[in-house]
Amino acid sequence: MRRMLIYLAGIVFVGVLFVSWITHGTGVVVNDADRNIYIPSELTMPLQVMAAYNGRDMFFRYRWPSAQPGIYHDMMKFEGGKWVRYGSSVVGPQPQGIYEDRVTMMLDDGSVPEFARYGGYITIGDRMRFFTDEASADEVRAHPYLGAVRNQTEVRKYMPATRVDIDDWASVAPEQDLAALRNAGYFLDLWHWRAHRSNPIGASDDESIFDARSGDAGRSPFTDNWDAEAQQPRFMLDPDKTGKRALAWDDVAERRLGFDDVYFISEETAVPFDASYAWQEGDTIPRRLLRQGDGSHADITVAGLGRWEDGFWDITLRRAMDTGNPTDDKILVDKGTYTVAFAVHRDASGSRWHNVSLPVSLGLGRDAELTAVRFSGATPPWDQAWTDVTLFYPGQVSWPMLNSARHAGAESIAKGVPVKFRHSPEQLAHYGVEVEFADQIRSQWMLTLAGGVLLILAFGIALNGLIGRKGV
Amino acid sequence: MAAYHVVLVHFPIALWLTATLAILWRAISDGPLAKAIDRALVPLLTLGLISGVVAFAVGTQVWPWEAISSTPLGRNHVLLASWTVAYWAVLLALRWLKGEAIWQGFTRWVMAALALLGAALLGITGTLGGHLVGIYTDVSAVLRLLGWEVYTTFYVPTITLWVIAAAIVVLIVLGLWGNRRANAA
Repeated sequence: MRRMLIYLAGIVFVGVLFVSWITHGTGVVVNDADRNIYIPSELTMPLQVMAAYNGRDMFFRYRWPSAQPGIYHDMMKFEGGKWVRYGSSVVGPQPQGIYEDRVTMMLDDGSVPEFARYGGYITIGDRMRFFTDEASADEVRAHPYLGAVRNQTEVRKYMPATRVDIDDWASVAPEQDLAALRNAGYFLDLWHWRAHRSNPIGASDDESIFDARSGDAGRSPFTDNWDAEAQQPRFMLDPDKTGKRALAWDDVAERRLGFDDVYFISEETAVPFDASYAWQEGDTIPRRLLRQGDGSHADITVAGLGRWEDGFWDITLRRAMDTGNPTDDKILVDKGTYTVAFAVHRDASGSRWHNVSLPVSLGLGRDAELTAVRFSGATPPWDQAWTDVTLFYPGQVSWPMLNSARHAGAESIAKGVPVKFRHSPEQLAHYGVEVEFADQIRSQWMLTLAGGVLLILAFGIALNGLIGRKGV
Repeated sequence: MAAYHVVLVHFPIALWLTATLAILWRAISDGPLAKAIDRALVPLLTLGLISGVVAFAVGTQVWPWEAISSTPLGRNHVLLASWTVAYWAVLLALRWLKGEAIWQGFTRWVMAALALLGAALLGITGTLGGHLVGIYTDVSAVLRLLGWEVYTTFYVPTITLWVIAAAIVVLIVLGLWGNRRANAA
């Protein structure tokens, strides 16, 4: 009898351990749009990069997997007599799949030393856009500098020293300090290729990160195609050039339009919107008008054709090594060393639902994690090997949090220990998810800890009672 | 305090692993050497528990509670350390209270199984501690293959907590029943 009961106690104990093992990590991590939470099914992805230069131009070539080419973005569908928007930034993937793929690259020349150690983490500040505690549009608009001077409506990436207090997005440094920081090169150059808003016209957005993420001086490669007052598009497709005034919604929704079809609207293919035309249910007009950029904003172009084929994007960007705009761009020189960090948006996801890299060293003709090869002529031969980079989902990890008591590595950051010394991309992806559920996971963990201790003690009580004076 | 914690954890690790070997030997042998080693088991387990508690206490001072309870590796290390200390305390209590009866018949194999489980807990706790200070082993890869990514917090859902609560009640009832039977006899 005692032996049977010891068996029973053992089965109960081991059985509960087994149940705990197979159910652990469940029940807490769930998507919650109200809290701006969506956890991607894949937390890491590969990116391949090559770099080359000829003394005048710099080339970066990017290749990454994507189940399908995300070339549609921000559409207006004629629906019930009104133009209805589909494809704005949402939490996680856009439900109709209408959101463009993107590749971005932050670049620094050493003027921002902490970027080489912590990469893009330094740009993730307090109450960022699409974080659970994001600052409201009204708060940002009301800000005397970010709202009134910089026309911001959300807290976007910014550099830590542009704030007096890194824990407060609103504590912008005095404008004379900002000007001095900018002149000292304290900003990150941001190359920003967009599959819909720039690629069709062979362009790339050219931005920078300073007191906010914003475009370089000059005209961007796209603008809004929406007349807010009239509640209608400003332009429609030119039927003489495209054979149509609008796209068909079904073609967009079922992804029938490819690179050789009309799937965007540009200055070349647009005419003023005709409100008197008998628009039909399902007529669809892109909400972004592509245009020829200018000034510093138009420094980066697509070399060749940016195309998706057999499950991979293959994009090459080109820019003058010296753009002549040193307060907008990082000027590149032969034998120079730099730091870059990459990000990719895919699967119809925008805003913070991207995969990012840790900082990668770049050497122009010098040994580095990514070595740019010097060549002669106008087009790189691309005969070197790819540099493989693992991108990861970063979650809601901010620079203020990393420097706070909540991060065990805050002291290491203060000492200047690089992130790669202690963390891998895979590890950071898991941490990024857990940060989004920090309080819930902590309380569940404490209950699990206590439950386990009590279970062990109860097992001891059972054995003590069941083992007789002469054993069993 | 990190350096002191690293120094101190060597004592319970050494003592509990030695205790594991002692228990395994005694489980398979009734020889004079095995019996002699068994007589040292209670002091061994007592020293192990004391040094384990001290190492645990010092470990809680390495990082602020807010930091250690916010990081998955920190949480996991605290959780496994708590379970390990509790587990070896139970083994000490059993040997102390039951004396040589635990080596009679079937019970010796129960003790052997418990010792192996205790060593496994100890090994996982140490592995997690190594990760915390940047020293990695492939034990975490084994755990990953078995279904636990050590870079995620080990916690169970509420339904499993209720299962654990029910199991605790059952085990305590079994123990009380056994005690009553023993006293009646």
